[in-house]
Amino acid sequence: MSAVARMVLLDARTVAPYKIQGLVVFAVCVAVLSGNNPAVVVPALVLLLTSVVSAYPFVIADKARLETLYAVLPLPRRAVLAGHYGWALTCFAATVTVGTALSLVIARVRSVPFGGHTLLTSLTLSWEIFVISIAVQFPLFIRFGYSRISVLCTFLPLALIMMAVTRLHLTIVTFAALLKWLPLLWVAGAVVLAASVTVAIATDRRHVP
Amino acid sequence: MSTDKAFALRGVGAAVSGAFALRDVSFELPTGYVMGLIGANGAGKTTILRCLLGMRRFDAGEIELLGRPVPGPVALRQDVGVVLDHTSLVGDWRLSGVERTLRPFYDRWDGARYRRLLDEFGLDLRARVKDLSRGMAVKLMIAVALSHRARLLVFDEPTSGLDPVARDELLGIIGDYLVDEGHSVLFSTHITADLDRIGDYVTLVHGGRIVRTGTRDELLEAYRIVRAGPDELTGLIGVELIGVRQNSIGAQALVRTEEADLIGGHVLIEAPTLEEIAVHIGARAPRRNREMA
Amino acid sequence: MRVVLSNSAGVPIYQQIKEQVGAAILSGELAEGSALPSVRVLARDLRISVITTTRAYSELAAEGFIATVPGKGAYVRPLDSELVREQLLRQVEDGLQTALDAARRAGLQRDDVVQILDGLIGAFSEH
Repeated sequence: MSAVARMVLLDARTVAPYKIQGLVVFAVCVAVLSGNNPAVVVPALVLLLTSVVSAYPFVIADKARLETLYAVLPLPRRAVLAGHYGWALTCFAATVTVGTALSLVIARVRSVPFGGHTLLTSLTLSWEIFVISIAVQFPLFIRFGYSRISVLCTFLPLALIMMAVTRLHLTIVTFAALLKWLPLLWVAGAVVLAASVTVAIATDRRHVP
Repeated sequence: MSTDKAFALRGVGAAVSGAFALRDVSFELPTGYVMGLIGANGAGKTTILRCLLGMRRFDAGEIELLGRPVPGPVALRQDVGVVLDHTSLVGDWRLSGVERTLRPFYDRWDGARYRRLLDEFGLDLRARVKDLSRGMAVKLMIAVALSHRARLLVFDEPTSGLDPVARDELLGIIGDYLVDEGHSVLFSTHITADLDRIGDYVTLVHGGRIVRTGTRDELLEAYRIVRAGPDELTGLIGVELIGVRQNSIGAQALVRTEEADLIGGHVLIEAPTLEEIAVHIGARAPRRNREMA
Repeated sequence: MRVVLSNSAGVPIYQQIKEQVGAAILSGELAEGSALPSVRVLARDLRISVITTTRAYSELAAEGFIATVPGKGAYVRPLDSELVREQLLRQVEDGLQTALDAARRAGLQRDDVVQILDGLIGAFSEH
């Protein structure tokens, strides 16, 4: 197992004691979303749940002083930082899997048309929401610590994303016309995320040469 | 790899905050022994430990840990067990979960040993980290360190906040650990009584500098405590009185052994305890500290 | 092996160990060839530093009481070595000196002392 994979596992273990709370939030989200357009299920889950769960290791790390543990474990600092991103990507992948299945079920039950194109645009939108939220927050958490940054960084991007989502949600049908641009949006997201990792490593306050 | 030194710091300097800095910190510990790092709060003990463990950058000098330079390969941390003055584990983890979390990081993790140690230490696998007392938390961290077969244990103030029974137990655990002559222990403390018996080496820190380092007996031999009447310690030539305590009925100071012979009159000159050495050196102003080990 | 350390005896710990182990060997309580705990085990059991027990053992070894085997421990050497003989001789002299001091205070004459000694030697031989 690579050092990054081990770190992803450590993040998973860090939030593991709070899985019940996570499931409750998930259930509430599903209950609320089930009456909606299936196309918004995945983007909404990413916005409401994934971005929070992805950042949760930072919350716990602050409280339990896990930065010391990271410094003591045989784990390169880069792997610690990359592992946080890896954990977020894992959360995203899980959301996409569960969310897509859920959308299909909702579409079938409510007999709403929900084709491949709509699904693709919905997933692309989810990816962009995820990338913006993580790419902005993580370097700040790593540089300043969660407790000093949380208010500014959780609410501000979320508010912005919320606005974007509402807009995109309204245009999601026309968005489908932009099908040929979707791969570009995925690549752009990946580039932004990679840039965020680079920034996080460069500005890391606990970096020891 | 076998090395004769557990660690060595040579001329280490590090800016900390404001005027406080580590300056020219040099000391080393041969493999197989216990060293106590003593000094008042704020003397620089924790900063020294953090530099040694590669948790903090330093600006000057060099550090060697288990035969490797610091900062060095992270694999080195397989061999080092760290017990800091706070637990750095998630409070909601159960002790069984602590093992599940840490095991993947260590090549030589021994699960059976972990469970046996918890049992020996009277810790319940199902207990949560946040419910442990300070003494139990220290024992948990030791169990972790011993389960990944660390060759060097580094403690930061392990006995502070422990009751006498827990302190005695800890000293027993350290003795057990040292039965293997490849094992070494470094701990910082402001409770010198811990070192009176089990300390092989003592390093005295004051104001970010090393005042003296060596075997405990060497340190005890290096100083004498002088007790005299109110004005009998004034006007002495060639004798530096360290941390003089003076009142209307008497005066007391620490002096270097070689200078003690220069004091005449009816003063009482005695061998000091570690506590007295620490107290008197801790009482003097840091900037007057010209003495280097 | 029995070692009882005093914190207030004013005698260094290593000296106390040395004296007690030495006395146990001379009295035959620790027989030739018996194994002693290693310095590290002894340090653990007495909750004292390794340097202290090492010093006690190396002085016992230098005086011919014990031999240390690196990595194994130590064992009691035969009592016939020259060094141990010297130790015993010194003990005899010390004991007799104490006896003579007491005799002088009691006002005993040379013949009285010799007579007591003869009596003791007689009892010792019968034993």
